[in-house]
Amino acid sequence: MTAWLDQKLEARGLERADLFIWPLGMAVAALWALPFVWMVSTSFKFPGDVMTKDIEWLPHRITLNNYIKVFDYPVIRWGFNSVVQATVSTFLCVLFGAMAGYALARMRFPGRDTLFYVFLASLMIPTEVSVIPLLLGFVKIGWASSYQALILPSIGNVFSVYIFRQFFLSFPKELEEAAKMDGAGPFNLFFRIALPLARAPAIAASVIIFTLNWNNFLWPLLVTFDESMKTLPVGIAAFTPVVGTQTQIEGYSVAMAAVTILSIPSLLLFCFLQRYFIQGLSQGSVKQ
Amino acid sequence: MTMAANMDASGALGAERYETDRAGYLLVAFFAIPFFLFNILPVLFGVYVSFTRWSIVGSPKWVGLENFSKAFSDQWVAVAFRNVFLYGLVIVPCVTGLGLLFALFVNKRYPLSGLARTLFFAPTVVSATVIGLVWVWMLDTQYGLVNYYLSFLGFDDIPWLTSTRWSLIGVSIASVWWDLGLAFVLFLAALQDIPGEIIDAARVDGANRWQRFKHVILPHLRPVISMVVTLQLISTLRIFSQVYVMTNGGPASSSSSPIHYIYNLAIVRNLFGYAAAVSLLLFALILAITVVQRFLLRERA
Repeated sequence: MTAWLDQKLEARGLERADLFIWPLGMAVAALWALPFVWMVSTSFKFPGDVMTKDIEWLPHRITLNNYIKVFDYPVIRWGFNSVVQATVSTFLCVLFGAMAGYALARMRFPGRDTLFYVFLASLMIPTEVSVIPLLLGFVKIGWASSYQALILPSIGNVFSVYIFRQFFLSFPKELEEAAKMDGAGPFNLFFRIALPLARAPAIAASVIIFTLNWNNFLWPLLVTFDESMKTLPVGIAAFTPVVGTQTQIEGYSVAMAAVTILSIPSLLLFCFLQRYFIQGLSQGSVKQ
Repeated sequence: MTMAANMDASGALGAERYETDRAGYLLVAFFAIPFFLFNILPVLFGVYVSFTRWSIVGSPKWVGLENFSKAFSDQWVAVAFRNVFLYGLVIVPCVTGLGLLFALFVNKRYPLSGLARTLFFAPTVVSATVIGLVWVWMLDTQYGLVNYYLSFLGFDDIPWLTSTRWSLIGVSIASVWWDLGLAFVLFLAALQDIPGEIIDAARVDGANRWQRFKHVILPHLRPVISMVVTLQLISTLRIFSQVYVMTNGGPASSSSSPIHYIYNLAIVRNLFGYAAAVSLLLFALILAITVVQRFLLRERA
């Protein structure tokens, strides 16, 4: 009997200890997901069923009312702002990052390496440090609480340049040379030959940078003075008992409905493009 | 951090003659211009701002080093930096240790390990608002899930977020849940780089699990561990969003952090010059840690 078991395990490259480690590890993984389960479960409960002495994982009756109540707040406007902010700045950051990464990897010009060192060294500057002067600057030029203010500071994310430079360093020379022979200029070369082949780094950079931008908190919090320019994370943060007052009025069920809405885009993106997330992140440290 | 290691891969421009690609400047410019305007210039501008008294309306007034001398005698600066030290003490070992454990588990090809990988990483992709609100509810003193299950173990209700004694721990728990994903992924990538044959060979030689970990796996992981610790330390020094959402630094500043104090100075008290000066102090601390880590890595290599 035990010999049979050992053989079975051996075939999978496992040992007896794994019989304990596997269920334990999976239990921890399930535990790790519990806050999400609790969030969704609470969001469907009647307010009266939320604060109960006994925990009810599966609500005995459910309602969509909490989700409807969330829309009493300008959530659609916040969502629109978030989508504009995150998509535009991600698109520009990835496109410009690809152009810069290509030039830094494939072209030769004086100052090229210095420039790259400057980009890398800037990773040591936490964005939080420059946020106060940046805010002063935007206020002085009259751009506070605007889309420019939400978008522009996120374009210069060096991660994008880095990931494309790494990719283009190992780009086959022959492709470029063939195109050069046909008389293609550098811009043609980049847009017609190089960029279409850089799908993998483009997706990796896009999902990671989009997630960072979608979740960006401190800067949108500082730079949006009126309710109508807030982004989703900043607007919904006011559902906390400490920061805002909404939870005291509406209770946790509405707050959980709000954060469920907020987490859906990130979680969906992650589930479908997990591979790119993990590849991209493990390629280098990311500035969060 | 890994970026630095790869820096020389392209080969610096040698002494040989080459034709300058003028188009290169143009291609880089699209990125470089917003980068310098919005990432570099504000840092330099911040140095100037830190020597002034400046409220958001009105014009700056040069005050020399006043802001810095004020910072060194400001008890709330001391509290914020002490708190961030405590945050580091709790969060960094938890994230590093658990991240490594989880990565070791997922790295073995168990059934469903793909699912486990997804679950371990998922919290990292959601925003601070989600993390904060979910954990405010989880850690609710009377009705929270955490206290509910702790009561079975005989614990009294812990006022996680509403007492000066526990608030920092409460915020740390949420932070570990949020931050672990990056450490986990970096460890996983490093583990997958270790050739399977080495581990198999050790096993054939009769090395048990612990010996294999200690003598084969761990030496391979040293650089990654050092990187994860540094990254997590720096990200903990910058802790803000979850503090803002969960406790707003309270009660009585017991969970505040330097960035949270800077936020209050600027937005609530309209002291932009002073806020910029405290930002620079934090920057100096982060820079010092980065330099020390680089130095230690080089020593070992």
